[in-house]
Amino acid sequence: MGICGVSWTVLLTLLPQAGAEVGQDPVVGTKINFEREIEPILAARCIKCHGPDKQKEGLRLDRAASAFRGGDSGEPGIVPGDSARSELFRRITANEHDRMPFKGEPLTAGQVALIERWIDEGAIWSENGPVDADQPTHWSFQPIGDPSPPLTGRSWGSSPIDAFVLRRLEEEGLRPSPAADRVTLIRRLFLDLHGLLPTPARVEAFIRDRREDAWERLVNEVLASPRYGERWAQHWLDVVQYADSHGFEMNNPRPNAYQYRDWLIEAFNDDVPYHRFIFEQLAGDTVGVDAATGFLVAGAWDQVESKLPADVALQRQDELTAMVNTTGTAFLGLTLGCARCHAHKFDPVPQRDFYAMTAVFAGVRHGERPLYSKEDALVLSQRAETEVEIESLRSELPRLRPAITSRYNEERFEPVHASAVRMRIFATNGAEPCIDELEIWSGEINVALTAVPSSSGDYPNNPKHKLEHINDGQFGNPRSWISNESGSGRIRLDLSEPVMVDRVVWGRDRHAQFADRTPTNYIIEVRVAPDRWTMVAGSQDRLLAPPPPGSIGGEDRLSSGTSEITRRIFEAEERVRALKTASPDMVYAGKLEQPGPIHRLYRGDVTSKREAVAPDTISVLGTLGLAMDAPEKERRAALARGLTDPSNPLTARVMANRIWYHHFGTGIVSTPGDFGANGGRPSHPELLDWLARQLMRGDWSIKHLHREILNSSTYRQASGPSATGLARDAGARLLWRFPPRRLEAEVIRDCILQLSGSLDLSMGGPGFSTFKPNDNYVRVYTPKETTGPTEWRRMVYMHKVRMERAPLFGAFDLPDAGQVCPKRSLSTTAIQALNLFNGIFVLQQAQRMAERLTELGGDPVEHAYRSAYGRKPSTREASAAETFIKEQGLAAFCRAILNSNELVFLP
Amino acid sequence: MGSGLGVMAMANLLKAEGLLADDALQIDPGAPHAARLPHFAPRARNVVVIFCSGALSHVDSFDYKPELIKHHDTPLPGGDGLLTFQGANGNLKQPLYKFRPRGECGKMTSDLLPHIGELSDDLCYIHSLHTKTATHGPGENCMSTGFTLEGFPSMGAWATYALGSECDELPAFVAIPDPRGVPQSSINNWGPGFLPAAFQGTPFNAANPVRNLARPAGVSAETDRATRAYLRSLNEEHMARYEGDFELAARISSYEMAARMQLSVPEVTDLSSESEHTRRMYGTDDPNTNKAGFARNCLLARRLIERGVRFVQLFNGAYAMGEGVGNWDGHKQLKTDYDVHGPILDQPAAALIRDLKQRGLLEETLVVLCTEFGRMPTFQENTNGRDHNPKGFTAILAGAGVKAPFTYGSTDEFGWRAQENPVSVHDFHATILHLLGLDHTRLTYYHNGLQRRLTDVFGEVVKGILS
Repeated sequence: MGICGVSWTVLLTLLPQAGAEVGQDPVVGTKINFEREIEPILAARCIKCHGPDKQKEGLRLDRAASAFRGGDSGEPGIVPGDSARSELFRRITANEHDRMPFKGEPLTAGQVALIERWIDEGAIWSENGPVDADQPTHWSFQPIGDPSPPLTGRSWGSSPIDAFVLRRLEEEGLRPSPAADRVTLIRRLFLDLHGLLPTPARVEAFIRDRREDAWERLVNEVLASPRYGERWAQHWLDVVQYADSHGFEMNNPRPNAYQYRDWLIEAFNDDVPYHRFIFEQLAGDTVGVDAATGFLVAGAWDQVESKLPADVALQRQDELTAMVNTTGTAFLGLTLGCARCHAHKFDPVPQRDFYAMTAVFAGVRHGERPLYSKEDALVLSQRAETEVEIESLRSELPRLRPAITSRYNEERFEPVHASAVRMRIFATNGAEPCIDELEIWSGEINVALTAVPSSSGDYPNNPKHKLEHINDGQFGNPRSWISNESGSGRIRLDLSEPVMVDRVVWGRDRHAQFADRTPTNYIIEVRVAPDRWTMVAGSQDRLLAPPPPGSIGGEDRLSSGTSEITRRIFEAEERVRALKTASPDMVYAGKLEQPGPIHRLYRGDVTSKREAVAPDTISVLGTLGLAMDAPEKERRAALARGLTDPSNPLTARVMANRIWYHHFGTGIVSTPGDFGANGGRPSHPELLDWLARQLMRGDWSIKHLHREILNSSTYRQASGPSATGLARDAGARLLWRFPPRRLEAEVIRDCILQLSGSLDLSMGGPGFSTFKPNDNYVRVYTPKETTGPTEWRRMVYMHKVRMERAPLFGAFDLPDAGQVCPKRSLSTTAIQALNLFNGIFVLQQAQRMAERLTELGGDPVEHAYRSAYGRKPSTREASAAETFIKEQGLAAFCRAILNSNELVFLP
Repeated sequence: MGSGLGVMAMANLLKAEGLLADDALQIDPGAPHAARLPHFAPRARNVVVIFCSGALSHVDSFDYKPELIKHHDTPLPGGDGLLTFQGANGNLKQPLYKFRPRGECGKMTSDLLPHIGELSDDLCYIHSLHTKTATHGPGENCMSTGFTLEGFPSMGAWATYALGSECDELPAFVAIPDPRGVPQSSINNWGPGFLPAAFQGTPFNAANPVRNLARPAGVSAETDRATRAYLRSLNEEHMARYEGDFELAARISSYEMAARMQLSVPEVTDLSSESEHTRRMYGTDDPNTNKAGFARNCLLARRLIERGVRFVQLFNGAYAMGEGVGNWDGHKQLKTDYDVHGPILDQPAAALIRDLKQRGLLEETLVVLCTEFGRMPTFQENTNGRDHNPKGFTAILAGAGVKAPFTYGSTDEFGWRAQENPVSVHDFHATILHLLGLDHTRLTYYHNGLQRRLTDVFGEVVKGILS
């Protein structure tokens, strides 16, 4: 609470004053009446600061929901039936500076006792009290409207967008500008959508295209180009604070982050529907689009681990906060990170919501995971199925008995009345089977000793191996029986009288000298009636023996073939081994694991855990209905579905506004990452809703929304100034003109490379660095002095080093990827001027541009003007240029062109 | 140009309708560094921060603890099983450098930094600082930006955003990295965060001037001048079609400022005009090249302040060479490390303060000597060095508006935890802004949902040290 740090003297402790104030002498046995006994206390002592006029710390005690929920601290205000856990009770009884009321004397002991009893009795609130609607009133939480374009006084424009814009202009006494000329239009469109210049030939063709839908055709062509994805992915990379390094003090490279960047470029180019776009970034791993979840871990990661558990917990909480915050900013336009320590100061986001969102991401850790191809994904799914099969086979294994040994085997069975016992052997681990003793136990008596042996045949002429050795009570190879058939044989003992038997014990050599000749496949049967034998034991339920040390292969394994289950497991394991995938690429898209419970943290302090919180979306959007221990993947998938529910008032509005912002330089809401109470208000609320509806009705197609905007007359206005316009609305927020503005760093660099003929348009892959390589423990990023063709690709492929300014172009307001950047600043500085005028890169490209102009032949001035500005020079400009070139050379002329305002401003 | 008025008019119109987030300041993009008024009469016009990167041990330098000497090699009371950043701790260890009374005030400081100690009559020691983290990167972020995370505007960015600059030939905010390299948090220490890039620190030092400042090799002075003039004519031609557009005008004037810097920066970094006496005082020609390099940076700092640069942040210590090798991070062999680092910092930094005073500049300049956190009064288990200690450390203020000689706050008897009058980093920042005439609660900038401040939602001005 805000009063901490202020100490004041406690005037009174809770004196047992049995005074005569309100609500004294509650009748024992009668429940406390809220209206009569409690409400007057609250009204007299609390409501001034926690009521309709002021809601200090977000608490009002004149409304049940707020009183029960509690204030911004997140501690429950009133827990019915439990005064001890109720913050209200704690604060009126607290010592020193935590005590409420903050000003004046404490409540009397009688009042305290009343409140305590009222809470313990269940805290029954007034039945006729004011209804606590508790619905957010802020505009962005209201359902998205379905407005019709207004009727306006003048006829202007072809699109519903224009009607909305025109009405607003008319209200301010402003008028739209005339349509821009075709050169301006095509340059604007290319720079806006591709971040590159149209070639002179393309400009020429557009100027000559007299078809009625020439512009619409051009828009379609430009949207279909892969250059579009490269440009618009950059806007999204800013929002999610993408970088190719981890940040913080070590700032090591993140070499497999680029796969997310490439996915993003492809997603824009393929016009992946926006709801799908969201789903894949939050839970792409559930649908085989692993690279997309690079979104989750795009932020900074501190690799330096403290030994202190609290520091480690804090670092982890920082990571999770970044995930929650980026999700909020990107998809909802809400600054959810604000609710980490207390309820959001401006928006209806209680602290608990922050931790519910934290629980959604609690299983995501920074790191890489394999990125499989589609074919390999299929193999993997087969492998996963087989592994499930193995698992289920293994689940039967505990029922199997120990593996056969050559030394000692015990066969226990349900006691059975038997007159004879026999063992039939079908396989051994080599040669004729050998048994040194066959014991038949009836309780504590070995009844075999008095039985009569017989067999299928005995090993001939060896004194060590005789039939009578089978039940002579002596162990070891020299006192054993061996069959006369390789791999099989039968031995039988007829008991002296029928008796209950319950186990048979046998071995091949109980002195452990020999391990060969051991039966591996056998059954043991008892004779229960003169002509009826029943099997009581066998090798079928025995485990596979591990191969003996020193043995080669599996032939020594005692029970190969003894157990059907083990054989099936063995086969399945072979199949898994055969299901090979190519060694996968890795992608920095997060390591996923099932997390433990997430707790609300009192004041965001990792050492002050409060109640566990189930994964969920923010409460103002409803609930995902997930269990506390919901599977990790399901949490993210459910959140994604919740975010794109058409009834969500934020998602479509936020994206429509983001698109508008990048086309016009300012959003309809000027704060594209904050649609909360502290963000900007929409300049054209109905237009925003109309655009959001268009986005949803067009199956969430982003390109569809681009088309709606680009085909409007609003977009196609001239950008020249007007005195009235500048005086009333210098920033052209109301769009009396198309607002001209400086191009971003990426566009300036790419255009320079384009004009010099150096631009390499190859797409995707690990990208390039403008820093020298080094392997320090803590990375040092020293810029390369010069660049060559490797670095002459589009800047979206340049390694983004967190917190390190890119050489030369870093000065042009490139975000540092330290925080989300839903909106770039656009500043103009002397350092920018120095970099662009003196930087080796620009000088080198000016030289190359001069060489190119010479190679092309013809008039270099005209060609330079047409490539850079899309137009021919005026006579005066041409003659000034020619004079300058004559005196200072063509390269100097190109250096000036590359620095000129006409090049670096979006017209 | 009348457009400035236009901006204001519309700003008001939009603000009334709630269409404009409530930025505290309206900056003219054509002149982002125009001098602006503070909230109230300032005591300091300029600031020099000497940032000792790597965590300078307060118990071995400025914070004299007789009990630590008395209890040498005994366990730290209450430190049973104490884990700090790198793990377990051994016994208390007395300072590795002898403390003596210095200055007329007799302030006890150690032989590690005797030159600075001798200036104690002009210094205000704050012994009760504490911070939020025991990790260098976040710690430096916190000291320079008020936040442990990256991406927040630095102190110097806030100061120049608020006040602009009195000098239109040099950047308003200059960061001077140590000749050995950059500190842990590198440019985040002088970054603009979400403020416009115009307010970032421009990094250069006496050895490495501003990038891309000089006329490029292979371009003659005549061609360079003529190209600049031709560019101007191109831009004016273009401007004629956009009359009144201040963004375009701002870009034209930025090239003019750049041209002025091409003259002024080489001038300010050229130390040859300094007298032999001055150079000797700083040690700019010392045979120890690291010391000479830092001395030249200190002398450069004075020259920048002299020319009206608003905020200078001077770094002592670089990180990339490894723990303790290039900075104050003495984990394992503190004495060996500090025998190297002490002389590099001591004489040059003391000379800077003395020089500013001799020239009367200290009356308008606040000098801050700080570090990201302190070190433990114990040695780390099985080492001869001290671990990180965010619970108590020392900073020094000198100059405009600050009591001297003065000592404020204290740590406990061993120098472990801030005890008397604890000063948080937010309090420290609030005080620095206060000396510049700025109310830290009113200096705000809207970013993504919040009116952000240097001091987050905390900070109290430390009134006790104000003169």
